This record gives sequence, structure tokens and C-alpha cells, in this order.
Amino acid sequence: MATADELAEAYGDWRGRCNANPRLAKMLRGWDRTVHLVTSDTGEGYTLSVAGSVLGELRSGLVGAPDLVVTATSEDFTDLFWGDLNPSEKYLNGEIVLAGSSEDVMRLDAMSMVAFLDQ
Amino acid sequence: MGLRTAVSTSTGLAFAALQYLAAAGLVAYVAGDSAWISIGVAGLLALLAWGFFGELNGMFPTAAAIRRYMGQAMDDRVALSITFTYLTTIVLVVAADAFIVGAALTHVLHVPAGLTTLWTLVLLGLAVGSNLRGVKVAGWVQDVATTLVLTVTAVVSVVALARSGTPLHTPLQPFHHRSGTDFVESVALGIFLYSAFEWVTTNAEEVRDPRHIHRAMFLAVCILFAVCAVMTTAMSHLLDHGQLTSPYPQLPLGERAFGGTGVWLMTAITAITAVNTFNGGFVTASRFLYATAREGSLPPVLARLNDRAVPWVPVVALGVASFSVAVVVEVVGGSEWQVLVAMGAALEAMIYAVAAFCVLRLRGRLADHHRPFRVPLVRVLAVLGIVVFGFLGVVASVSVSNRFDPVPLVIILVLGAASGVYTVRVVPRLRAAELERRAAVRPRRRPPSGGRGPGTDAVAGPGPAP
Repeated sequence: MATADELAEAYGDWRGRCNANPRLAKMLRGWDRTVHLVTSDTGEGYTLSVAGSVLGELRSGLVGAPDLVVTATSEDFTDLFWGDLNPSEKYLNGEIVLAGSSEDVMRLDAMSMVAFLDQ
Repeated sequence: MGLRTAVSTSTGLAFAALQYLAAAGLVAYVAGDSAWISIGVAGLLALLAWGFFGELNGMFPTAAAIRRYMGQAMDDRVALSITFTYLTTIVLVVAADAFIVGAALTHVLHVPAGLTTLWTLVLLGLAVGSNLRGVKVAGWVQDVATTLVLTVTAVVSVVALARSGTPLHTPLQPFHHRSGTDFVESVALGIFLYSAFEWVTTNAEEVRDPRHIHRAMFLAVCILFAVCAVMTTAMSHLLDHGQLTSPYPQLPLGERAFGGTGVWLMTAITAITAVNTFNGGFVTASRFLYATAREGSLPPVLARLNDRAVPWVPVVALGVASFSVAVVVEVVGGSEWQVLVAMGAALEAMIYAVAAFCVLRLRGRLADHHRPFRVPLVRVLAVLGIVVFGFLGVVASVSVSNRFDPVPLVIILVLGAASGVYTVRVVPRLRAAELERRAAVRPRRRPPSGGRGPGTDAVAGPGPAP
């Protein structure tokens, strides 16, 4: 089980990578969304938002109406943000659960992939 | 996504332009004026399949459901092989729709037949281009398009029947000048008229209420029965053999209802069905290939994204594969599209049988799993599903134009064998190479921390490489 601080630290690293990636800036053009993250093991909620191709800070709590809801363990979220976990594999195994449009899911997965692989 | 859009998605995915040819083929070769009875029996069987998919979708409400439930119910390699083979249905339907719309345009414009290839290329090029640009048909557009297609098809059929002025010949005699084998073949073909209604389960994460998917599939099967029944009755009563065996039987049906205007009307409707098919087919198949490549079961090149976050390699590959199949059908000529119908019917029956098997197997393996919907009398109905759909799949795969023809079966076996060999020989190597490469070049980034629980230091899955 990851602590809130660990998760926030991992997110901060991922956010820096995403916002520094020019290719992701192109990919996220026009994709302004609110994403809720729900940790299934600790029962906590977080909110992240993308506006103007920029990934905002992680807010504690479920703020606003989400376009996409991602549910996973705090461990998986933390590993995902550090780039130590393949979210697609976890998704296909049912360990990451999504609720939202397929287009939004693709963009989020693109963020997790391009930030580390730049494919 | 609300219930209305879920219904239109389920119905729209099933009602491709190929359905007109499948319905006409059913009338021409096996069922005659009583075709609607075969369609009704096939519809009841589709409702059986609805029960299976309903239970499985309730257990795994995700776009990746087919991987989840098949992976849980059987060996993962077998599951992957079946899934790859099943995916070819999408290529077949997209190819057939492009060809049918192209052939219809050639017919109404009175231009040389060779131009059909050009129309097909243009249509698939537009579909690939719009997909690469990330254009997706909005839910309300899909609602309107599907409603228009089904309503116009039903109205044209009813008006054409009303204007004929003659009563039906044998509407209640499915065995009139037919054998029991003919009837079984017509039911097997009838399965194809409902094929792909279950693809809406890939939208499980988009619906406002999880129950919408289950209800939508049921309503879609009912709507498809009503429209296909009236359409085949009209075709049977009004079209001659040459018209029924042409690549555009819906056009003369339109002519019988509204004259020249009806021909153009049905041409437009045929083109609209292609929009639904291309939209659903390309998005569903390309995203599945992308996710499977991300998982490590397909070459990594299939996970490459363009600047609009679209997996461009799968989209282009699907376009090329569909165009190739369409050209082969056109070059071979005659009524070879009936091979596509037979293959589609056989693959659909196969996946229904697999769904029945998964339901039965998971009742034992995942007995405590939450099931919002449960198939009643599961031991009886699931075994019935496996036997009936398995049998109909075999019948469909060796029946082309009411004669024995093993070509569809041979193609399916070749595709299945290729998928099997790929899964057994190539996938393990792909996964091992990826793990090795990542382990070699990519140390774990997450810093060690005392706050983490025991047993969490190992990387849970192959992480992305730098």
C-alpha cells in the first residue's frame, strides 16, 4: 500500500515528464479533461486535470464532474506514475478499472506511454 | 452513453450493407417466402447468445471483456488464437461493405464495372483517413444514421410489398419444396443477420448505467428480427433470381417501392450503413490490436501512436487488409461474396459457442464472482448453446449458395492455424524479448520507501523502457 505522499511524489515526477514532452503537448491539444483517480485499497480519491495541453497538479478528493474515472490500488497508481508498470497489462487483467469514453482512455494511455517511451 | 445510443450502436454494428446480400442469399437459396421463419429461429438463438454475453459482460464490464473471460475460462494461448481469428470477421465485413457500396455506385451511375475498385479504394481511404485524424462518429449521429437505415429499409420493404398487389406464396411453409437440411442452412445463414450485435459490449465503460448494454443487446436482436423479416419477405416476393444474387439486391427492392427515386434512396442508405460499419469496425479492431500490442502479445510497432493518439499502424493495416479482400472478391467475381457471408456466419456461431463454454466454465471457476445477470438453467442452456452453435458454425462453413463448398471452412482453418502458430511460437518470444530488453536497459525508477507494504518491491508487470 502506497502512502498519499508516495503517490503525490510519483505523480509529480510523471507530471514533469508529461509537461516537458513536446510530442505529448501535440497529442493533448484540445483535450481538456478532468480525471478522477480512486484508490481501491485505501478508498481515497484524487483529481487531475488537463487544460491547454498541460497536466495540472494532483488534488486530493474528487473535485468536479469527471470525464474519466480510473480505479486501481495505490501501489499500482504509484508504479504507473513512476513508469514501472504497464497500465495496458493491468487493464487487460482487470486490475485497473476505467469508466469513460474510449477516446479519453486512449489519451490517458498515450500519456503514460509517450512520457516514457515516446512512441 | 445512454440506452438509445447503446441500442443504435448494437443494431448499427450488426446491420451492415452485407446484411442485404445475406438476406437475399437466404431467400434465393434456402428459405424462399418463409425466410422470416428461419430468421426468427436464428433470432431466438441470438437471444440465447444474448444471455451468455449478458452474463459475461456483467462479470467483466470492460472493453477488454473478451480477453478477460476467455483468459479465465481457458488456456490463454487458445483464447488469444480464437480472438485473433474472430477479429478477421471485422476485416471481412468492412471489406464486403466497401465492395457493396462500390458496386452499388457503379450500378446507379452506369459506369464501367472496373470503377468499383476505385470506389472501394476511395471509401476505405476516407475511412482510414478519418480514423487517423481521430474523427469518431458522435453518438447522436450514430443514433440518427441507424434509425434512418432501419426505418427506410423497413418502409421500402412494406411499400414494395403493398404495391405488388399479389399475396405471398408460402409464408408459413418453410419446408415447401425444401428439405430439412435447407432449413438448417437457412438458420445458419440467419445467424449472420444478427452478427456483431454483441460488439456493443466493448462500450461497457462508456454507458451511464451498466444495465444499458444488456438491455441494448436484447432490443437490438428484436429490432433486427423485425427489419430483416420484412426485408426478406419483400425480397422473396418481388425480386427475381438475378436480382437476388446481385451484389445490390436492395436497389431493385427500392425501385419496386419508389421507382428511380427508390434506387437512389437505397444507394444512399447503403452508404450510410458503411459509415456505421467503418466507424465501429476500425475503432474496435484497431484499439484491440493496440491494447494487445501494449500487452506484449503483438509486435510493438502496432502500439505506435500518431499525434492524435490514434494507433496508426493497426488502422492502416486494417484498411490495406480490407481493400485486399474486397479486390479479391471483385476479381474472382460471380457471387463469391457469399463466401464472406458463410465465413462471417461460421465465425459468429463459433464465438457464440465459445461464449456458452465460457459461461459454463466460469460458473465453476469463478463461482463467487458478482453476476448482475445470470443465465437460468445454465447447465442445459450452455451445453445447448455449445452444441447448436458449434453445429451451425460447421454447417455455415461448408455451405455456399446452397451447395457444399468447403472454401469458407478451409479459410477459417488456415486463419485459425496461423493464429495458433503465432500464439504458440511467436508470442512467448515477443514477451520474453520485451521483458529481457526492459530488464537490461530499464532499472526500476520508483525510489525505495519504508512506507510500502511487504512483497511490493518486485515490478508487477513489464514497465515501459526509456
